[in-house]
Amino acid sequence: MKDGGGRAGCLEAWLYNHADAARRSFRRRVDAPGQTLIMIAVLGFILALPAYLWLLLDNARALSAGIDHEPRIALYLDDTDADALADATARITALPGVAQVTPTGADEALDEYRASLPDPALLDWLEGNPLPAIIEVVPRERTPEAVAALESRLAMLLPEAVSVSDHEWVRQLQALHAAGLRVLLVVAGLLALGITLILSVAAASELRERREEIAISRISGATDRFLRRPSLYGGLLLGLGGGVFSLILLGAGVILTQAPVEAAAAAFGLPLVFAAPEARVGLILLGTGLVLGWIGARLGSGAALRE
Amino acid sequence: MIRLQRVTKRFDGGSEALSNVSLRVDAGALAFLTGPSGAGKSTLLRLIARLERPTRGRIMVNGKDLETLPRSEVPRFRRSIGLVFQDHRLLFDRPVHANVALPLEILGYRRGEARKRVRAALDKVGLLQKENAQPQTLSAGEQQRVGIARAIVHRPALLLADEPTGNLDPRLSREIMQLFLDFNRVGVTALIASHNLELISGLGKPILHLESGNLEARHVTQARSAG
Repeated sequence: MKDGGGRAGCLEAWLYNHADAARRSFRRRVDAPGQTLIMIAVLGFILALPAYLWLLLDNARALSAGIDHEPRIALYLDDTDADALADATARITALPGVAQVTPTGADEALDEYRASLPDPALLDWLEGNPLPAIIEVVPRERTPEAVAALESRLAMLLPEAVSVSDHEWVRQLQALHAAGLRVLLVVAGLLALGITLILSVAAASELRERREEIAISRISGATDRFLRRPSLYGGLLLGLGGGVFSLILLGAGVILTQAPVEAAAAAFGLPLVFAAPEARVGLILLGTGLVLGWIGARLGSGAALRE
Repeated sequence: MIRLQRVTKRFDGGSEALSNVSLRVDAGALAFLTGPSGAGKSTLLRLIARLERPTRGRIMVNGKDLETLPRSEVPRFRRSIGLVFQDHRLLFDRPVHANVALPLEILGYRRGEARKRVRAALDKVGLLQKENAQPQTLSAGEQQRVGIARAIVHRPALLLADEPTGNLDPRLSREIMQLFLDFNRVGVTALIASHNLELISGLGKPILHLESGNLEARHVTQARSAG
């Protein structure tokens, strides 16, 4: 009796084996709904948490980028007469990246100050004019990098001037965003490691339950790849389920917190719109669930098969 | 089909299960392996199925030298063998037909084709009407026959059986042995370990005596006698 007739071709047999493993794996999940739902819930929570934090951070970043704010650099120059001011203004205007230059002489500044006081006579007590001349520079580009670059060019051009940029808070917000993103990455990495371990333990215990079947299958000529396959599909299914559940949680989280978060931002005078996640975020969550599910199952089944 | 040259198997504890065993079983032959418990019958079968490796000596099965057979090739090699155990080793979490279908799943048979082969194998062992039964509802003899159906369902060239009638009454034992003779008649090479000398001596097939790991060198041909 020779093996032969009726057996599928190599590729077909392989594909059939995969389809069969996926079907069995799916049935195994359906047969143990409690366990499957708990796993999916755990994965969903773990995936949704960093995704939600990222969404908050991303909206905050969008806020800093979206605010219609024209950055200005003010240069304060002591003891500068009208000629020197005109000369400095001309040199600054010639610099690259400058959109607009507005000089204000010391006398002019004092007049403006005097006009703003309720009792201008108060200034008559002063001896001379203590105010510096001011050159206000508007950079052509609004990014913090461009503003900072222009500031350093101005410092080189006029080392004696004191420079103050009102764009500083954008830079602070960006630094906070970068720090937040780093913290988030570390947290997400740890959570991903956690998921992988959970899935790995689940896959290993599932294979241990199939110990006798595995022993018989090995005697009948099953490869480790064959024995591992249902676990890998199991990991993919749980990962996919976790990804879908995390999307639901994320959506619910945004809806539930949208109003208070926007109100809190408005209290600081920030026009934050807490937007729902884009399709890209959904795809990333599903993809992450699938990849982590596969890795966890691969690690767990590998360890169990080596025992 | 099977060739052992001066094979010795010593286990970790230091006990020697087989000492310098040489044996040759031609393709299409059937031989019984007998001897008292602990004589090394199971070890010899496990070595031939590459479930154990010899301490010394050379084993050739179906033209393959098991010593040089790469690890990755072992599963494919095992698919050419059918193994029957004394304790059946059935899976009690699935019905009879799923137990028998296991080797076909590994080989990637389509469900419909597998079902046909499973039914043919169960028919051969007289259990077609039990295909949907759970193994635990079957008698010991029926369970053994399911184990045999599983061993032959993928039509292996070589059948190895370790005390297949160990737990059965004389009538059932004769029936099981008759099954092996039937398979042999259609070309399957078989090596069957059994301590039931009374039963096997009446079947007209060569009998190899193992005693404390020693076997007189034998050459079993397809003909009735051995030389």
